[in-house]
Amino acid sequence: MVLDNNILCNALYVAVKDDARDKEASDKWEVQLRKGCLELAILAALWGGRLYGLEILRRLESDSDLIVSEGTVYPLLSRLKKLALVRSEWVESDAGHPRKYYALTAAGRHRAIEMSAVWTRFSSSMGKLLAPLGRGTK
Amino acid sequence: MTMPTDAQKKIETYLTHLRGLLRGLDREDIEEIVEELRSHILDKAPVGGETSSASIDAALAALGSPKSLASEYVTENLLARAEVSRSPWRVLHILLRWATLSIAGFFMLLISIVGYFLGICFWLCAASKPFHPATAGLWAIPNSTGASELSLHLGFANAPVLGHEVLGWWIMPLGLISGGGLIILTTRLSLLCARQYCRSPRPWVS
Repeated sequence: MVLDNNILCNALYVAVKDDARDKEASDKWEVQLRKGCLELAILAALWGGRLYGLEILRRLESDSDLIVSEGTVYPLLSRLKKLALVRSEWVESDAGHPRKYYALTAAGRHRAIEMSAVWTRFSSSMGKLLAPLGRGTK
Repeated sequence: MTMPTDAQKKIETYLTHLRGLLRGLDREDIEEIVEELRSHILDKAPVGGETSSASIDAALAALGSPKSLASEYVTENLLARAEVSRSPWRVLHILLRWATLSIAGFFMLLISIVGYFLGICFWLCAASKPFHPATAGLWAIPNSTGASELSLHLGFANAPVLGHEVLGWWIMPLGLISGGGLIILTTRLSLLCARQYCRSPRPWVS
């Protein structure tokens, strides 16, 4: 009886451990996916005009399902500026402190259009491939 | 709008810590980053129009620790440089920064130094052949076990007593091609690895 209990406990332990490992792998994949999309998401958020950092974060939260940490967006904006995809300017605000606004450059607009086309093609082909999985879960 | 002194102190402590961790980036970039984050904190912190010590804590927590934030900035800076640079000198600079962030970066730096060193040796050997035709070149020298070891000689010392030159005058074109190839290969490999590292998920990124 004690032996049976031990086997049961071990089996449960292995099952829980496997579940945790699967969850971890799935989380890592999701983080990579979100991070991969972030550059396009920021360029798309700036498509309508200049925004400052917090406005970009709020736009990403409200218009997409991307839950982005602030500590990721600002360094990424700094890289996009170095690559001349966005330009920035300091503007005095009513809040009493200046804000750094970002706007797309011509190269940034071009990159956004290119990335958007790739994204549309990719998501459409993945949609076809994943359609049977959707039916399977119903 | 007035802010409690301890709240101001918290912001300054956070930004001073961050500034210290960003050392290595351009000074102008560091000041720009610090001012932008200060502006972000001042925008984010007020709750119902009031800024308190607790609301500053929440705004700073949302940014992450200074260490993780600085790492993100350094990594994105590396990636930006890796995307636009092609020169070995810049690549070594990128790897030097990467080496301060991870063990993988340290090993990649060592591999690149060896790659560039060998490439330069091939070039020097090819260039010194016309000046030291009898001694410069690639030599096969027997070792104690009887097997031969290949050795590049620039020609300044006497010719090895045992052993023979392998390529003769062919060291000039082959040395230039091999040296150039090694330098290009080392640059490409280093940039590829640096980009892979920068794009890999880090634990603090959500």
